[in-house]
Amino acid sequence: MAIKFEQVSFQYPSFDGKNFSALENINLEISDKGEFITLIGETGSGKSTLVQHMNALLRPNTGSVTIYGIKIEKNTNKNKKIKLNPLRQKVGLVFQFPEYQLFEETVLKDIIFGPKNFGVKEDEAIKRAKEVIKHVGLTEDYLGRSPFNLSGGEQKRVSIAGILAMEPDILVLDEPTSGLDPKGRDALLELFTNIHKKLNKTIIIITHDMNTVYKYASRVVVMHDAKLVYDGLPNMLFMDENIEKWNLDLPDIIGITKQLEAKLDITFTKKPHNVNELFELMKGVL
Amino acid sequence: MNIIEITDLSFSYREDVDALHNVNLTIKKGEWISVLGHNGSGKSTLAKLIIGLLKADSGDIFVDGILLTEETVHEIRRKIGIVFQNPDNQFVGVTVEDDIAFGMENLNFDRLDMIKKIDEFSKKVNMNEYLKKEPHELSGGQKQRVAIAGILAMDTDIIIFDEATAMLDPKGRESIMEYIRELNKEGKTIITITHDMKEAVNSDRIIILKDGEVLAIGETNTILNDKETLNASNLELLLPLKLLYKLDEANIKNEKVKDILWQLSLNK
Repeated sequence: MAIKFEQVSFQYPSFDGKNFSALENINLEISDKGEFITLIGETGSGKSTLVQHMNALLRPNTGSVTIYGIKIEKNTNKNKKIKLNPLRQKVGLVFQFPEYQLFEETVLKDIIFGPKNFGVKEDEAIKRAKEVIKHVGLTEDYLGRSPFNLSGGEQKRVSIAGILAMEPDILVLDEPTSGLDPKGRDALLELFTNIHKKLNKTIIIITHDMNTVYKYASRVVVMHDAKLVYDGLPNMLFMDENIEKWNLDLPDIIGITKQLEAKLDITFTKKPHNVNELFELMKGVL
Repeated sequence: MNIIEITDLSFSYREDVDALHNVNLTIKKGEWISVLGHNGSGKSTLAKLIIGLLKADSGDIFVDGILLTEETVHEIRRKIGIVFQNPDNQFVGVTVEDDIAFGMENLNFDRLDMIKKIDEFSKKVNMNEYLKKEPHELSGGQKQRVAIAGILAMDTDIIIFDEATAMLDPKGRESIMEYIRELNKEGKTIITITHDMKEAVNSDRIIILKDGEVLAIGETNTILNDKETLNASNLELLLPLKLLYKLDEANIKNEKVKDILWQLSLNK
């Protein structure tokens, strides 16, 4: 296992002495052999805190996170003896609005900044930049341009290219499609699917969009009140009776199918996965 | 009575391409209108022009009968409040009460009046128990509610919500939509800017922007029935609406099913 959480708890300290519990007794295993995981749950449920444990940006208060064989616990690395950089290279974290973090004069310089920090030689980093710019759906001539003259969507892609250039095995993205319209969202998700399939990387996406979960993910992890309450297949999740308690929506296709069944007082013979399948089922009963 | 009148409005960020081209729009007092369009369609630009954050290249904007110019922009801003997309970018106070007071301070409200209004409007958006809280202790939806309280305290006639729910989770989104509905019922003129048709169907009228131009404008029901325009809009159609169109194409006439799909399209 690339990443293993064992009984992990974490509290944010607070000035008034009442610590805020963000993770409670989390057990979770993640492989780096091409998983496509969505991490969901309402605001404040612990999603972002959880992913920051995946590359040792945060250390658990109790329990341990083992990342590529290195066990991270409360007091690990107080004396900086363990090198955490290799972990951070293997597990690439893309925060919300990564485009705000672009700062260099050219797209090329921005992309090679990360790899160079991890000790990659300049010409190798440039070689990688030419490669990754294609993986994010842009062309090589973007490398000479200023990142600040690009559209928001292009900036997002450049910042993701910068993480890809570090050649992580696991790519974690915190709400990468937030604020995008459906077309922009689908384009970005297709891009992640390509990276996932072609480069065989594990993708972990934090999202609020249940359509994304249903359409793209092979596995879904649900956080609720600092606890991990579900880890499994997306289509099983949406049959779970707790879904309302966890404040999760249904994907449109499931929600509309259920409402149609209720209002027409019928049960379709199977569960449709898209609008065409639902239409065929409807034709059958009309 | 028209509270906003926009005639032949054009604006460009760069010389070669118009972000908005020849937009004409009138909004009645007390109306709720949605500006619907994809990323880059010009919808946020329109909002910025209406509140005078950007200056039009050509065309006129009248708010409550007053022509928007450099001289009248401050007067006009007292009539329009705006809630932006990113809750973190617009929280300027140190605490919730501080943030609600910010707009009133700029308008030189009397101190006692301010205290009264903070109490009144924090209650209205259900944030009165959080007055001493700092922004990092609040969820995105709570921060947006604080922004709404600040605007209500300034008592503007018009409130613009510029993708104000786009970054919230479902619960946060629904709570903001509830407040919008209520404010509209109480007589505020509402402009919601969105790429989400699910959100737009709540309003009385919809204006669709595409590549800076008005593609369509009309009553929500009329727009939803206009299959050709919606297909041309590049927007993602609502699922029940797609089914409704498919039934039509297949020439299936089942009024009961059609009515159900129509109600579902309208979030009912």
